[in-house]
Amino acid sequence: MHSEIFCHIDTRPGSNIARGALVGKRAAVQACISVQGWPTEAGSAALRGFVAVEDATVVERLRDAGASLVGNTRSCELGFGLLGDGAGKAVAGGHVDVALMTDTMGEARAAAASAGVFGFKPSYGQVSRFGLVGLVPSMDCCSILAKRLGDIEDVFTAIRGGDDRDPSLPDPAPPSLSPSAGPGRRPLSAGVVAQCLHGLSSIERAAFEAALSNLERVGIAVREIPFDKYEFFPVVHNVIGSVEASSSCGKFDGVRYGHRAAGSRNWNEMYLRSRAESFGLPLKAYLFQGACFQFEQYAVFEKACRIRSELVGQSRRLHGEVDVVVSPARRAASDFGRANTVGQLYEAFSLTLPANVTGQPVLTLPGLVTCEGGDLGLQLMGAPFGDELLLGIAGRILQELEGTG
Amino acid sequence: MSMDHEAVIGLEIHVQLNCETKMFCRCPSRPGDEPNRNTCPICLWLPGNLPRFNREALEQAILASLALDCEIQKESAFDQKVYYYPDLPKGYQLSQFHMPLAMNGHLNVTDANGARKTIRIRKVHMEEDVARLVHENEGRTPVSLVDFNRAGMPLVEIVTEPDLRNSGDAMEFLRCLIRQIRYSGSSECSMEQGTMRVDANVSIRPAGSDQFNTKVEIKNMNSIRSVGDAIAYEIERQKECLVDGEPIVLHTRLWDPEKRVTSPMRGKFEGPCVPDPSVPRIVIESEYLDEVRTRLPEMPEQKAQRFVKHYGLTYEDAATMCSERSVSEYFEAVADCGVSSRLAAQWIAGQVLPLLKECDETVSTSRLTPDRLAGLLKMLERDEINSSAAKEILGKLRGSDAPLKVIVESGGFRQVSEADQLEAVVDRVLEENPSAVENFRKGASKALGFLMGQAMQATRGKANPRLLKEIMTRKLG
Ligand SMILES: [Zn+2]
Repeated sequence: MHSEIFCHIDTRPGSNIARGALVGKRAAVQACISVQGWPTEAGSAALRGFVAVEDATVVERLRDAGASLVGNTRSCELGFGLLGDGAGKAVAGGHVDVALMTDTMGEARAAAASAGVFGFKPSYGQVSRFGLVGLVPSMDCCSILAKRLGDIEDVFTAIRGGDDRDPSLPDPAPPSLSPSAGPGRRPLSAGVVAQCLHGLSSIERAAFEAALSNLERVGIAVREIPFDKYEFFPVVHNVIGSVEASSSCGKFDGVRYGHRAAGSRNWNEMYLRSRAESFGLPLKAYLFQGACFQFEQYAVFEKACRIRSELVGQSRRLHGEVDVVVSPARRAASDFGRANTVGQLYEAFSLTLPANVTGQPVLTLPGLVTCEGGDLGLQLMGAPFGDELLLGIAGRILQELEGTG
Repeated sequence: MSMDHEAVIGLEIHVQLNCETKMFCRCPSRPGDEPNRNTCPICLWLPGNLPRFNREALEQAILASLALDCEIQKESAFDQKVYYYPDLPKGYQLSQFHMPLAMNGHLNVTDANGARKTIRIRKVHMEEDVARLVHENEGRTPVSLVDFNRAGMPLVEIVTEPDLRNSGDAMEFLRCLIRQIRYSGSSECSMEQGTMRVDANVSIRPAGSDQFNTKVEIKNMNSIRSVGDAIAYEIERQKECLVDGEPIVLHTRLWDPEKRVTSPMRGKFEGPCVPDPSVPRIVIESEYLDEVRTRLPEMPEQKAQRFVKHYGLTYEDAATMCSERSVSEYFEAVADCGVSSRLAAQWIAGQVLPLLKECDETVSTSRLTPDRLAGLLKMLERDEINSSAAKEILGKLRGSDAPLKVIVESGGFRQVSEADQLEAVVDRVLEENPSAVENFRKGASKALGFLMGQAMQATRGKANPRLLKEIMTRKLG
């Protein structure tokens, strides 16, 4: 079954007898999320013909909550970027109610903003990575797209929490989503990182400031907050991301699955040629770069790790001062469908990637930051593991904005 | 030339841990099974899988480290050792590089001159084993087959400081290390069966200097003996290089056990090690460590001291009884049945162990249980049998389930100690061998041996030799 949106459509969907919050909801997962018996090629020739042998934990939990799985959506190569991705279109076009996709540098949120739907990247460590064909293990996070915030909450509740097949999740799992974790009626505050604001064009800035005044109108105190070394986010993401990607892609050697180049004289040659033929240009450049840091410039990688912990620490402190940090999710000029070099990708995702570096939960709301460049998406970033509170705050903002019309 | 130089040797020892399952999945750890039987999506590293570190491996690795007197680190972590080879389907091996499990251990060894030496252990770290490659070169196209049964097997790597100076020290160190680790129960440490692999780093320098010169790594030794031989060969080879003015370059050499030489394998490649993001950092709480520590048995050195004190053994006998944990436990069980402990030690070392080795049995599997051996030794102590009969009975106790009493009675092994019965035998022997008697009286002491032999034969070996000799000398005198 071929389409622009789906790689695989389940033609014989079994009747889901599970009874849960997702009964009646149609769901799709990106082709980097394993569904037993389905082709799970993750948009890569390195996985051509690969059929998953087990369900990802998130898939199992969607089913357990009653969702019906419609198919899997097209993915950019190993989820790196948004070129040809189908998840946003699947939700926006009403093919499904919710879609899951991996978010490594902001792909899920950018897709949501571009499609005008909600996008939620949970805190790193809230959702099991088992079954996710990942690229950057310390940043990849299975994220949720939906037209309704309520659907995001229900899916998140269904898929989150401890999993003995992903021991990198914190143990014991944090308490489950409960209304008491919401913000209640207390006054709320939002921070805007100065460097982020200064980096916007005048058109983007105007659209974003209009959204900020809307927030103030419903009683949220907005203020500029300092963030030392904020400009290091892209380079830290780039160095660490490429090193981890270089390791993760080591398994794509054409020996057991995926594409194997024909006619090699020995296995070294087979590796080189299979990998050369399997990977696309931006990913290849990314892997080269990661290998270079691994083999030749390890000190740069170590330094990036040190700066990352500083950034995480600072982010944590900021969230003691404000409830959420806000920004647009994308630039007006960001053309995710064209970004095809490492540099273009980092440029396009500059507003979303900080949350992957720090592992914080982020939600993008549609329709609040709009300009001629389209919907830029309002991005709300919460404290690490403050996922419930963040969703609660978003709910309250939407309700109050609606009330004030 | 050779008098002026000394060798500097460090060892890297891989030891396979005794675990039910592999290190990052729940596949059974039985590498010898039919190829690729013990595999799963994790140890095949199919996309989407994540390592699930095994607590059992941690516990065994801690026991091995404690057996080498190492300090267990409060925090340790896994790194990815990156290299591409078909025995490693994910392109990196999970190993501990930046933060090893244990550090700063040591072992005391006795060198050839009887001097005690301390060999320092730099670190002990955990790692997963890689798959096994089988190369088939017969047929038109040579093929390489991969067996994943071994992939993910739990290992520790033990790295010594370069404290060893000759092949003898290295062999003694390995024997000592094997004994310590076997005692802890964490590994079998058999080089022959592949549960222990040893690489040696060898360099030479002017005697008395403290510099470190370019080292050469030697691999592929399959016994302690061949480790010794390979090191000895390599030291001589390097000294000759020095004489010939050839530079020594960093590389790896393989020991060829047939030709008994080392030959160059490849330039030494050290892949990078980056922290693994998916295996959580290992934090060892002191309560947990104390709990594991209680599982470490009394170690050979202390046990030997106790055997000297408590059982009155010589140090040598005590050390022999402590060479294996199972042997020491066997000895104690026999001695605690009320047998003279020296007699027990002598018989275990001199008779029991050689017999079991010959029959490919161990003290724990043999029918020669401690109480059966103790029963036999008690009869010997009470002069109810003589020692040659005892040796024969020993074989029968091992070879059958029959009770000791039945074996002794049915075989007629009971010793003849009744004086009048023996006197009659002696009288008859003297009467039948007048020329020997005459020779003896002329001063040929050899004749006594002959007469004793005749008398012993007449009792079919069952005479109490001490009593027989007493009667014989009295009658001849
Ligand atoms: Zn396995």
